[in-house]
Amino acid sequence: MIEISHLAKKFKVENPKKLSEQERKDPRLHGKFFHSVQDVNFMCDHGQVLGLLGPNGAGKTTTLRMLSTALAPDGGSIKINGVDVLANPLIARQKIGFLSGSTGLYGRLTGRENIAYFGRLHGMDEAAIANKIDELTELLDLSTFLERRSENFSTGMKQRISIARAVVHDPEVVILDEPTTGLDIMATQTVIDFIKGLKDKQVPVIFSTHHLDEVEQLCDTVTVIDEGRTKYNGDIRSFAGLSGKTLHDSFMVSIG
Amino acid sequence: MWLVFKKEVIELLRDRKTLFFMIALPLLFFPIIFGGVFYFSGKAIQEAQEKTLNFAVIGGEFAPNLTDQLSARDDLTLVKNTLKGDDEAAIKDFVKTEKVDFVLVVPATFSNDVLTSGQQTIMLYLNDAGLNMVQRRVNEVVKEIEHTNQQSAFITLGVSEAIQKGLLNPIVIEKVSTADKREDLGEKIGGFIPYLVFILCLQGAMLPATDIGAGEKERGTLETLLITPIPRQDLVIGKFFTIAFAGVTSAMVTIGSMFVWGVLLAQGMAIKLITEFMGAISPIDFVLMFLMLVPVVAIFASLLLSLSIYARSFKEAQGYMTPLVFLTIIPIIIALLPGIELKGVYAWIPLTNVALAMKELIKGTMDYMALIPIFVSTSVIAGLLIAFCVYWFKREKVLFR
Repeated sequence: MIEISHLAKKFKVENPKKLSEQERKDPRLHGKFFHSVQDVNFMCDHGQVLGLLGPNGAGKTTTLRMLSTALAPDGGSIKINGVDVLANPLIARQKIGFLSGSTGLYGRLTGRENIAYFGRLHGMDEAAIANKIDELTELLDLSTFLERRSENFSTGMKQRISIARAVVHDPEVVILDEPTTGLDIMATQTVIDFIKGLKDKQVPVIFSTHHLDEVEQLCDTVTVIDEGRTKYNGDIRSFAGLSGKTLHDSFMVSIG
Repeated sequence: MWLVFKKEVIELLRDRKTLFFMIALPLLFFPIIFGGVFYFSGKAIQEAQEKTLNFAVIGGEFAPNLTDQLSARDDLTLVKNTLKGDDEAAIKDFVKTEKVDFVLVVPATFSNDVLTSGQQTIMLYLNDAGLNMVQRRVNEVVKEIEHTNQQSAFITLGVSEAIQKGLLNPIVIEKVSTADKREDLGEKIGGFIPYLVFILCLQGAMLPATDIGAGEKERGTLETLLITPIPRQDLVIGKFFTIAFAGVTSAMVTIGSMFVWGVLLAQGMAIKLITEFMGAISPIDFVLMFLMLVPVVAIFASLLLSLSIYARSFKEAQGYMTPLVFLTIIPIIIALLPGIELKGVYAWIPLTNVALAMKELIKGTMDYMALIPIFVSTSVIAGLLIAFCVYWFKREKVLFR
């Protein structure tokens, strides 16, 4: 289970003079600090897929980066299966699988080496890594390119290896930051199937996206963030009921 | 940490560009460049030595022995001319248009009798811009005539042989050098070796540093690395060791390659000279030189990694690193300047002191106790820079610019 409460993060603006007119008008700008995330709250239980929605610059990526321990929050708390991420980041990292649309691979390593490297970084032994790669090869159909260097992989191949890399250590929770951005239909389907597979295994998934059709297909609950604050938290049916029309309309209602 | 190091080295060794700069370039390119320079300059000198020079003499009738002796040489050919001694423009034009290589103008007052004529001047017109053997060949003949004329004058004056020597060279300084061959050669080339090693270390470390810092950001692999359960200091130290490894490997391959190619190309006497020189440097001195290099490499690796981590892209990282190369070269060049020794303020300038210490080790004149403060101070600087690098790598502002 993932529990986030009153999460906050601010960044120092190095050169306020360089900000655009729109950025200067953002209510999150206070003096020399930009409060990217001000008060975000949500919870994702076992077997649930939570869709994290919000306009560009709403604070989704910052929230997910704090959740993945890449960034340290300035306030609030994050718990993953009861482990406080702030107090025990190294333990929390063992429990997290993270994937984003912009995640790259080490081009001069083969697909297998990429996956194995992250397995080793997670403290797995060689036998366990080999077994897990066999399992993932079958699941994600990696056999035709697993032993090739990843520098010449297609986008779909890269994304499948990235998925394998993200879950090689059997994470207890999975965080996906716009994982289908820039992907073609086939690669997108691979990601969707992967999320469905996680859901079947009762793994909590937090999934940030702009594609509301994916939300409709996959998510049990929805959290909408705007200007660094949670604007909506609830199940997908209630979210659809906000407007009584399409999810797009409900999204517009949620952010006011 | 070693997991990161191992993976980075595997990637490094699979990168053709890095391999080219780290191994192929030092192994082949530098020897080709240096060998080419030596070959062509040697050939040019040989050609100049073998070339027969054409010359003209104006007023040759006033110094017939000079004209005869010059003409008698196999490497000089007399060209007849109608030039006048006072027509300087025509003489210069004669040389410029390469009708001759040089012209001698003997004055009408010239005489072989030194006692009546005193000191005399013969004008030599030549194109002295390029490599030529004119002055050397003319001097050889003139010295011979000078000697004959001096002898005639001394005989006329009845000066004994001992007094003759005293008149010609009233004071003779006989040099007894206490420097052995090693010190002598070490003084001449000892400063150049640390310069070369430092620059090559830096050069060899630059490309991997760019790749494993800014390159990771650009490829989008850094974030996934940061969320693995490996402490960030271990990640950065693993990367630091990779850069240091690349720098040392590059320097060692280059030096090794230059040594081997030098021995192969030099042949004969040069082999003996190099063998003698290298044989005179004790294994302890080699070990000490390598030990002195360790903190220097650490300084380079931590500086390069800090810049690379800060940069958003490969291109930006290279932009930051170029001024660093210039800043690094300055203290090394100080050590190359004549008269700079491992004393006073120079013993405390970072990098300069190490370069000077390495020079002293090569010369065999190092006071080993003086190495301790240099090693300690350089290590402290390296330690501080590594600590800064770790601190830098932990800063969100740096990682997520």
